[in-house]
Amino acid sequence: MEYFLQQLINSLTLGSIYGLIAIGYTMVYGIIGMINFAHGDVFMIGSFVSLIAMVLLGVGTGAFLPLALLVVLLAAILVTSVYGWTLERVAYRPLRGSFRLAALITALGASIFLQNFVQVSQGAKIKPIQPVIQGGFTFFENGSMVVSFSYLQIFIIIITIILLSIFSYIISKTPLGRSQRACEQDLTMSKLLGINVDRTISVTFIIGASLASVAGMMFVLYYGVIDFFIGFLTGIKAFTAAVLGGIGSIPGAVIGGLLIGLIETFWSAYFTIEYKDVAVFGILVIVLIFRPYGILGKPEVEKV
Amino acid sequence: MSSKKNFSLIIKDLIFTGLIATVLLIPIVGFRTEISTVDSSGLTFNYNFITAFFVVAFVVGVRFLFHIYWFSKIQKKPQENSEKNKKKFLKKLNFYLGAAAAVIAFTLPFMPFANRYIVDVATLVLTYVMLGWGLNIVVGLAGLLDLGYVAFFAVGAYSYALLATTFDLSFWICLPLAGILAAFTGILLGFPVLRLRGDYLAIVTLGFGEIIRLILLNWYEFTGGPDGISRIPRPSFFGFPFARKSEDTTFHELFGLEYSTMHRIIFLYYLILILALITNFFTMKIRNLPVGRAWEALREDETACRAIGINPTNTKLTAFAIGAMFGGFAGSFFATRQGFVSPESFTFIESAIILAIVVLGGMGSQIGVVIASILLIGSTELFRELEQFRMLAFGLAMIIIMIVKPRGLLANREPSILLNKKNE
Amino acid sequence: MSNILEINHLTMKFGGLIAIDDVSFSVKKNSITSLIGPNGAGKTTVFNCITGFYKPTVGEILLNAKKQFNLERMNDFTIPQKAKVARTFQNIRLFPQMTVLENLIVAQHNKLMKASMYTLKGLVNAKSFLNAENEAKELAKYWLDKIKLTDRADIEAGNLPYGQQRKVEICRSMCTDPILLCLDEPAAGLNATESLELNSLLEFIKNEHKISILLIEHDMSVVMGISDKVVVLDYGKKIAEGMPSEVKGNPEVIKAYLGEE
Repeated sequence: MEYFLQQLINSLTLGSIYGLIAIGYTMVYGIIGMINFAHGDVFMIGSFVSLIAMVLLGVGTGAFLPLALLVVLLAAILVTSVYGWTLERVAYRPLRGSFRLAALITALGASIFLQNFVQVSQGAKIKPIQPVIQGGFTFFENGSMVVSFSYLQIFIIIITIILLSIFSYIISKTPLGRSQRACEQDLTMSKLLGINVDRTISVTFIIGASLASVAGMMFVLYYGVIDFFIGFLTGIKAFTAAVLGGIGSIPGAVIGGLLIGLIETFWSAYFTIEYKDVAVFGILVIVLIFRPYGILGKPEVEKV
Repeated sequence: MSSKKNFSLIIKDLIFTGLIATVLLIPIVGFRTEISTVDSSGLTFNYNFITAFFVVAFVVGVRFLFHIYWFSKIQKKPQENSEKNKKKFLKKLNFYLGAAAAVIAFTLPFMPFANRYIVDVATLVLTYVMLGWGLNIVVGLAGLLDLGYVAFFAVGAYSYALLATTFDLSFWICLPLAGILAAFTGILLGFPVLRLRGDYLAIVTLGFGEIIRLILLNWYEFTGGPDGISRIPRPSFFGFPFARKSEDTTFHELFGLEYSTMHRIIFLYYLILILALITNFFTMKIRNLPVGRAWEALREDETACRAIGINPTNTKLTAFAIGAMFGGFAGSFFATRQGFVSPESFTFIESAIILAIVVLGGMGSQIGVVIASILLIGSTELFRELEQFRMLAFGLAMIIIMIVKPRGLLANREPSILLNKKNE
Repeated sequence: MSNILEINHLTMKFGGLIAIDDVSFSVKKNSITSLIGPNGAGKTTVFNCITGFYKPTVGEILLNAKKQFNLERMNDFTIPQKAKVARTFQNIRLFPQMTVLENLIVAQHNKLMKASMYTLKGLVNAKSFLNAENEAKELAKYWLDKIKLTDRADIEAGNLPYGQQRKVEICRSMCTDPILLCLDEPAAGLNATESLELNSLLEFIKNEHKISILLIEHDMSVVMGISDKVVVLDYGKKIAEGMPSEVKGNPEVIKAYLGEE
């Protein structure tokens, strides 16, 4: 029972991270109909910027921790958003009218470029960091079995909830959010109605990148070690989450993230840890075969 | 008057570019983190501001060149008949490059500069060429986005390895068997997913590729796990082994030559050359047959295909399975050439490279695949020390080529059947 | 004269939206029937049900050929293959990068696949396959001659002007050897001369090749000019059916198009 509870807590944390990244995938797919293959690597950049900021500020040495973390968060969001913006501007916008395969190749190229850019600049070795946020609550001390809910986990979950609330508000109540939703439904019509489509799409990428950068910072704090390749696997899992929840649906991305977090954590806990990634890939394949529109999506009827 | 305004706009744009580049580059390039020599669990910085600054300046410089280019384009007058002439030129280019490549390919091992290293690199390039031609059937002809092609390469290699080491069968028996197994895998994987469109198919095939790699990596009892399968028998010249001494007549004894390790190397080179050419001829032939035409039609418009009675699932499966088969053949060759197989040769990046070769070379251009392979793989080998930069340039090249020429460098489509005689 | 196509109580619902509501009509053999109505009346939806692109919610679509087919139960690609029903699209769907000739040859795919023994005979250049391919070319040439585009056979289909693309699409459907031809707005975007040419082409198809035609159309010169029967839909319901002259004066029809006084 205690083991189960612990896994549940761990899943929520992992799921929050996936959910934040998944939103970026789902928003971009919703508005321009392409899979932003490089989004996972934007997350990776976010984690590196967080790491660098933390080392720069000497975070972890106790002084002014909440303030320092806030500065790190803002720095990560700022720099990573610029990466997201540049990515769209340089690699995707020129190909907006072009055929599917071209957009896919350019996204792949961007992904490879970002990974190797970081590898060349920062070195290929893993980057470890001292635990920054320590301690937490423990319940049910049953001999050796302990359920702990660390401050870090609480922090991650709360930040995610706050961000999602802010974000849902923006999407549903502000003009920006309205333009976003209009573009998602009909790009050409939005243009004709005077919506600045280019800017709306740029903002979409910026928001996606910001959320991914927050996930990146969480990742650094939670796992304590990063390298230039984390974007690939985490990215695919987050994409699976977006698909599972229903591509194009933001609540779906969050739900999908939580579910993938659950599946991955419980699979590792109760089955084998080697095949946990196979489990997630398996979910991706199964969802796409049997219910490609995901949990919250609606089946698309193709108009002939 | 207007040139002054233009000038100030350009300056503003360059400043903006510089700012963006600074935000992007200073953090990641300028602050290189290293594991501290003092405190082994901490990180310190290795400041690289000079490098960062130069890269920023480089980016601004490139942007400036863009402005010059756009400016010069406005001055030029549009050419008439350029579309038709371009097509003619491309067709001629494709032909002459093909002829030249064929001549070079056949005579390479006998050239004076051809040492073991050169022939090895050429063999590697040809392996990718064959994989590119195989994937071209799936992506280029049938228009199916496959991001997991390396899976079939792996199935072919591991099938060959297991058949050869367990049952002691010869290369010429294992090769077709491995191809059939790969084709079968293609059918198995393709059947549930080929009705998915575009990007989704790409991701699912990526998923399959990774699943297969992870299984190969973790199923120790069957595949040897991370160690892979080794001691795969080397090929022989139709029964005459490439050895210094043997119970049977050896190759060098048969032809009255001095023993040399180059014999086997050259034999392998010609082997992959023949295999690749078979793939190529098959592609060119099948384009003129109903199934090839159906593939191309499917690529253009699946709904229209349904309306004329073409079964899209069967047609797609055929393309997928045949592409997989050639991938399997290439895998067999790979296994016998290396003598061992391990999962690390079959990562996602290989699928990405093969796909890039097909797309960058040009949809519909067989020689384009060759050129792209030579550029991508050949340059890798020659610039081995700059390995990291190789991949960086590779990613950048993919982006640039897609923006400039989305259909690939040498894209050209020749009709597969003509009604009227050509007036050349 | 028997009916080649019988539509009985066809209803199509998309979620809460009723696109077609209990529509029944028939198409006589060797005749041209037009399906008309204001935009959004459900005409293309009827087509999509007939040709297997949609599965109707309720209803029966019978094709009476040598044997009877229940089209509502068949797949979109089996219908042209087995039931020999061909269709064209409102937004022309040619294979743009393939030549006109290739478009027509690919339409004969099933026939050629059998002739090549599923490619095997093709790989060895068997005489029987080459003959079949030549016959296919001849058939394509025949239709190209009819629409006077023989000299443009080797041009990419996407490069043809709109009106010619329409004609090629119709010929491509003819190359599948249909017994029922369903045309979705074949006269859309054609000028007066081209519409007349279309009329004579369709009458040629009906009279010389004994093929039944069902068409959706807004161009009244085509509808009134060649139809043997007209069926009118409005808001998913059938509001009139009869000869062109009868339908033209029908007050319900006039109300549907022009609104009330």
